[in-house]
Amino acid sequence: MSTCSVSKGCFVFKPSPKKRKLSQKTVNYFRERNNASEDTDVRFVTCQSLWNQIKLETEQIQEDLNKQLFDNLVSFLRQSHSEFQEKTTEWTCRMKSREIPTAALVLGVNVTDHDLTFRSLSEVLQNNITPYIALLEAKDCPGIKNLMQKLMGQLMNCYIDVDSLEDEDHMQVSQNKIRCSMTSIISWYQNVTKKTDSETPSKKRTSSSRHWQSPPVVVIFKDMESFTTKVLQDFIVISSQHIHELPLVLVFGIATSPMIIHSLLPHSVSSLLCIELFQSLSCKEHLSTIIDKLLLTAQFPFKLGEKVLQVLINIFLYHDFSVQNFIKGFQLCIVEHFYSQPLSVLCCPLVDAKKRVNSLSHDQCENIRRLPSFRRYVENQASEKQILLLTADNFLKEITQKLLEDLYVYHENYVSVLRCLHVFTSSLPKYPLGKQIRELHCACLENRVWETEEYESSLQLARMLNKSDLVTMLQQCVEIFVSSSGKEFDKTIEKLKEFLTQFQELEVAEAFQEQDGSVSAQKELQKKTDLYHLQKTLLELKESRRSKKLTKFEMLRFEVVDYVDSLVRTYLVPADHKTLHEIMYFNTASVLRGHLNAAPRVALHTALNNPYCYLKNQALKSDGGNISNKAPDICIVYKLHLECGRLINLVDWLEAFSTVVTAVEGPNTDAASSDQVDDIIHARFIRAVSELELLGFIKPSKQKTDHVARLTWGGC
Amino acid sequence: MPNLEHPAYPAATLLHLESLVPCRESQVSMLLSIFGERQQFSFPSIFIYGHTSSGKTYVMQTLLNTLQLPHVFVNCVEYFTSRLLLEEILIQLQSCSSETEQTSRVPCDNFNDFVRLFKQAVVSRELQDQTLYIVLDRAEQLREMEANILPAFLRLQELTDRNVTVVLLSEIVWELFRPNTGCFEPLTLYFPDYSIGHLQKILSQNHPPEYSADFYAAYINILLGVFYMVCRDLKELQHLAALNFSKYCEPVVRGEANERDTRKLWKNIEPHLKKAMQTVYLREISSSQWERLQRDDGEPGQLKGLSAHTHVELPYYSKFLLIAAYLASYNPVRTDKRFFLKHHGKIRKTNFMKKHEKTSNHLLGPKPFPLDRLLAILYSIVDNRVAPTANIFSQITSLVTLQLLSVVGHNDQLDGPRYKCTVSLDFIRAIARTVNFDIIKYLYDFL
Amino acid sequence: MSKRKLKESSGANGECISQVQKILRERFCHSYATGKLFGTEQQYRHLLELLKRTTVHGESNSALIIGPRGSGKTALLNHVLKELKEIKQVSENLLEIHLNGLLQTNDKVALKEITRQLQLENVVGDKVFGSFAENLVFLLEALRKGDRTSSCPVLFVLDEFDLFVHHKNQTLLYNLFDVSQSAQTPVTVIGLTCRQDILELLEKRVKSRFSHRQIYLMNSFNFKQYMKIFKEQLSLPAEFPDESFGQKWNNNVQHLSEDKTVQDVLQSLFHCTKDLRSLQLLLMLAVSNVTVHHPLIAASDLHEASKQYRMDSKANIVHGLSVLEICLIIAMKHLNDVYEGEPFNFQMVYNEFQKFIQRKAHCMYNYEKPVVMKAFEHLVQLELVKPLERPSVRAQREYLLMRLLLDNKQIMDALQVYPNCPTDVKQWAASSLSWL
Repeated sequence: MSTCSVSKGCFVFKPSPKKRKLSQKTVNYFRERNNASEDTDVRFVTCQSLWNQIKLETEQIQEDLNKQLFDNLVSFLRQSHSEFQEKTTEWTCRMKSREIPTAALVLGVNVTDHDLTFRSLSEVLQNNITPYIALLEAKDCPGIKNLMQKLMGQLMNCYIDVDSLEDEDHMQVSQNKIRCSMTSIISWYQNVTKKTDSETPSKKRTSSSRHWQSPPVVVIFKDMESFTTKVLQDFIVISSQHIHELPLVLVFGIATSPMIIHSLLPHSVSSLLCIELFQSLSCKEHLSTIIDKLLLTAQFPFKLGEKVLQVLINIFLYHDFSVQNFIKGFQLCIVEHFYSQPLSVLCCPLVDAKKRVNSLSHDQCENIRRLPSFRRYVENQASEKQILLLTADNFLKEITQKLLEDLYVYHENYVSVLRCLHVFTSSLPKYPLGKQIRELHCACLENRVWETEEYESSLQLARMLNKSDLVTMLQQCVEIFVSSSGKEFDKTIEKLKEFLTQFQELEVAEAFQEQDGSVSAQKELQKKTDLYHLQKTLLELKESRRSKKLTKFEMLRFEVVDYVDSLVRTYLVPADHKTLHEIMYFNTASVLRGHLNAAPRVALHTALNNPYCYLKNQALKSDGGNISNKAPDICIVYKLHLECGRLINLVDWLEAFSTVVTAVEGPNTDAASSDQVDDIIHARFIRAVSELELLGFIKPSKQKTDHVARLTWGGC
Repeated sequence: MPNLEHPAYPAATLLHLESLVPCRESQVSMLLSIFGERQQFSFPSIFIYGHTSSGKTYVMQTLLNTLQLPHVFVNCVEYFTSRLLLEEILIQLQSCSSETEQTSRVPCDNFNDFVRLFKQAVVSRELQDQTLYIVLDRAEQLREMEANILPAFLRLQELTDRNVTVVLLSEIVWELFRPNTGCFEPLTLYFPDYSIGHLQKILSQNHPPEYSADFYAAYINILLGVFYMVCRDLKELQHLAALNFSKYCEPVVRGEANERDTRKLWKNIEPHLKKAMQTVYLREISSSQWERLQRDDGEPGQLKGLSAHTHVELPYYSKFLLIAAYLASYNPVRTDKRFFLKHHGKIRKTNFMKKHEKTSNHLLGPKPFPLDRLLAILYSIVDNRVAPTANIFSQITSLVTLQLLSVVGHNDQLDGPRYKCTVSLDFIRAIARTVNFDIIKYLYDFL
Repeated sequence: MSKRKLKESSGANGECISQVQKILRERFCHSYATGKLFGTEQQYRHLLELLKRTTVHGESNSALIIGPRGSGKTALLNHVLKELKEIKQVSENLLEIHLNGLLQTNDKVALKEITRQLQLENVVGDKVFGSFAENLVFLLEALRKGDRTSSCPVLFVLDEFDLFVHHKNQTLLYNLFDVSQSAQTPVTVIGLTCRQDILELLEKRVKSRFSHRQIYLMNSFNFKQYMKIFKEQLSLPAEFPDESFGQKWNNNVQHLSEDKTVQDVLQSLFHCTKDLRSLQLLLMLAVSNVTVHHPLIAASDLHEASKQYRMDSKANIVHGLSVLEICLIIAMKHLNDVYEGEPFNFQMVYNEFQKFIQRKAHCMYNYEKPVVMKAFEHLVQLELVKPLERPSVRAQREYLLMRLLLDNKQIMDALQVYPNCPTDVKQWAASSLSWL
């Protein structure tokens, strides 16, 4: 079993308990945390169901993303051993003999995601190409012998998987009995294929529908980088000897770059391979699709707040390109939200939400009243209504229902308008609002996007777009809105369509003379006299290189941009301005950060430097500098060693230690005055020091006698 | 050229044999004369060495098969442990002792048992009056096995007291085999590499049916002209010939040129061959891809070999970690102060650059460095503050698993592990460019 | 007329050629069994005496026969045994046990082998494959039972004796010598080894039990005797069926021995090694050319054989390299000259090569680095270049420290015979440090 832990050490692997039991336990855990509110079970169930939905969704996405790659691979495998299928003796084939077809599969550096990919890959192959697949990992094959054993083991077993008729007489052919050599694999392969031939016609049809008579044997090297040269070399040489009896195909899983093949294999070996390259799509694109499908949709009631999203994305971009971890983080958010927020009961599809609102208990209502956003809402209401809200639960409930409802509407609109805005911003030079939609999303969540100067500049740029781009964008926007589920976009669509038609008319109008254009320009100017537009147009005039006066097109362009702007202002209100957003949005980034990027050194330092914050003992409440002798010995020793230099003299250290420890009973007892330290203190000191060494703060140094060397510096 | 003749074998067979081994007649006749007649004793052990694809294996196999000499042929790479090897030999013995079809594999885990079982096997077979030949291909592998295997094989005749000859084939000279306490000296034979004439002859032999022999010969001539410098490996040349031939005869197919005018053909093929030197010779693209490329006549300039995809996408901090590691392993420690202290004192170039170190570190390769030096450099090259979270440390380990860093010596957590950066200069420059960090300014070698 | 004679002779002696081949091949390739002995009379007598005492008078004993490889240790022993067997009362009761260090690689195996050779499996039944200890005990019991008069003597022959020394605390040797010391069943242990320092390898307790009898076989003959041996080795026995041909053959051998070139060949061989096997190898090569059309060995055959025998294998290998690889080797040569044989790595070699390419750009196509790397790896694979320490998985190939296993002379010689080598490359190779 492997761990994802950074540190070396021994890990306890508990046998994973039954699913139901576990969930039961978690329910209890949910309950005992906040016994006040009753409907924890409901919350738990909702959480579970929501997560299951999301899980399914993500798996679906993964599949779609890998499809392209897998199809290529499959086709490659199909034609790789075609000459092996029909024993062709064509000239070129004869000439280039003994080449092992090899797929170099470049998967990117996010190693944690690879397992999933390989699992699905082997599934795909099982279904389309061949039942004979072996997955090899470097840590299992230090030598060629182990490699062969692993290989044979997997192949034989997979045989048993294919049809369970023979398994009893295949079971007793155990590892050690068979000589682990290529010849035995070949004989195995031959009689396996023979069997499939001599099967009953019905079975044969089923088998041959999926595989040919002699399907290739696929060997997948999961982590090419970690394999040793010798093993690979030997294996390739051996199997190239027998490529005619055994249609072998290799798949190299490569994390870094295909050059690794060159650095691993000498020419004499690499000349036995017939390498073809397959690139999986980059994990950044992967992430953006995930975000697109999971976050930027009204499908799921649960939402991530801006900070939280930032944390997750940063972890992804800065530390590991692992999509899996991102999803895990997302899961954590969900759990945390449902766990900590009692009102998350209502975080579910609208219909149930309304029902649940009706069945809310009194103190849940109190919880609602306590919500800051709700407070804000109340303050804006008329006084008598305020009273009602704060006293009458039923009234509160129906209001809540209403609020929930428009929260949902808000979501739907938000998404489509956001996409529409992204259509514009993503095509601007230098992307003032960011290239990816996720950046735009964050920007909108953070605060009123139209107040930022990035937004301003991007509008400026948008006003300089040429016609064809503008038209295409508008068309895209129309599509977005049409496809969106939002109700009140009908007139928006109308408006955009109208813009489009006007643009078409413009083309016609181009034919006409100039002057009426100018006239119309003045007309336009008279038409819109409100200051806002006026200054904008003037500014535009100043910018426009060609002529002082505006053409029709430019007018139209203004209108479009302004319209989009108005859309943004109406629909892209940041979520935390909405009432009751706490129910849907998980926004406590600090918790998440605490969970996801742990700082072991810092924690250790604080533990040693200020033990109070872990063992809440009043006696330890120290104000900064001075060292209380109540603290555990190791803390004292640690603090003392912080004041020392590169090398620490043990004797002095011991002196300091004993003085600190005996500080309290200092004057009255003469133990302190006597310069020799008593044995107990000495023992304690030694133990503490060895503990420090174990923690890796110091190590014995050869340079000076009875000195130890410090290993850490600075605060952390 | 000496045509083979030997009392023991009918002339017809010998002629046939000779036709099978072009340009190797002298070696074959040598071998024949050493083998002598069937029942005569031959030398206990023969060691044949020569370059890759100088026909060692091929000649031995054809010789033994066509003359139907009783033999066992084993590849030592394939049977990588002594146990496997010995068992394989016994199995082959059983199988070629024909009529008694009992291939029950007998466990044989040391040479002692092998000798015993070998005697039995030989006795059991009818033709024990003939010399039995045991051919061990890729014999250099024997050195990896137990110390007694190689010497024992060399004097197998004496140990078993049977009429057996062991033939070792290898690319490596005998001097590198000899154990330090010496052993029975085999008779060493050398298979010289094919001369260019030989290559021409052999390659021209199997021309595609649809073209005339001398047309193909002309093609081979051109091919050799280009590749003989870099590679004399027959197999490799065969491969290249097969790949590029279709391109070569394109003009003929299109009818622009007849088979005679070689100049045009040469003009047509030359750039392709030059390109093939890079990509195909390195096997950067599979032969099928290469063919596809020629079929749709892709300009050979724009084909992408493996080396075209050197770019590696890394997380932001991993990039900086890698850069820091590179700096740490190619800069001397004493120069860190100058590079990374914001306002180091007046360190003058003269005493900063030590005169005596003339060879640059990029010749000598990376030096190992401790973890905290790496972190220190990291903190100083990343402008915003980096929290030493677990994520950072885990990235270091994942860089190690990606073989971009490598742990040196014992990785003991207590006294910090030491690392090396194992990426090339071009690679790190590409990485640095993406985070626009001018690494050259920080490298001691380029001051 | 000589031609006529040759023709009729050739017509005649198709089968007697093969006779000759048979006899001589037997002699050369099978010498350990039937080979003649040369100048080892008193060792012969000594050993014979020793064994007689065991077999006839039932004295236990132990001895080592020490001599370099191919000095006829085994042959000597075989001859002695042959003669011993001719004594009636010996031949029926003498148990021989032949062990060989190459075969019995540890005591367990050795013990099994002993029991097998004593045909004791049926007696001990499963005990043969019982634990090592009880096997040993049983065997020793079996050996101790008898007394020195009645029970039949046992002779242990340990070939490659020095390999037995490496067995775990020399248990087998200890026990054998121990038994041979104690006066019970007459046991004699004969060890054959080529190591002069064999006694230092024995543990004290083992050494003390060994009767320090050592029979040394040194090829202590001068060139005259060597020539005599040569003649004896080559000449046919008197009882050769076709006397006339036998005569002719032996006369021819006589002539050969007086021939100048032959003498030179043998002289050089004699000076490089007195090992008889190498002589036999030489003769074997010569004899193998004897055919119906070429019935008698000529001096040229021997000359050819010697050429074949002592050609520089490494030069051969270098001859087969591609120009690129040759260039790399030259680069290494220069590096060796510059850094006084300090180890180098690929990077340095590549730099060196680059320098050359830059000054002589026209003569060679400038290969990409990967191509050069491949060429270098080929050299490593041929073990013309050897890494200092075993290449670890993690290390970068370019920076592995290497040594060149060729010396300058070899390189230059190889270059002289190298087929169509560019002149620039030749010059580069010839140029000394000055060009750097």
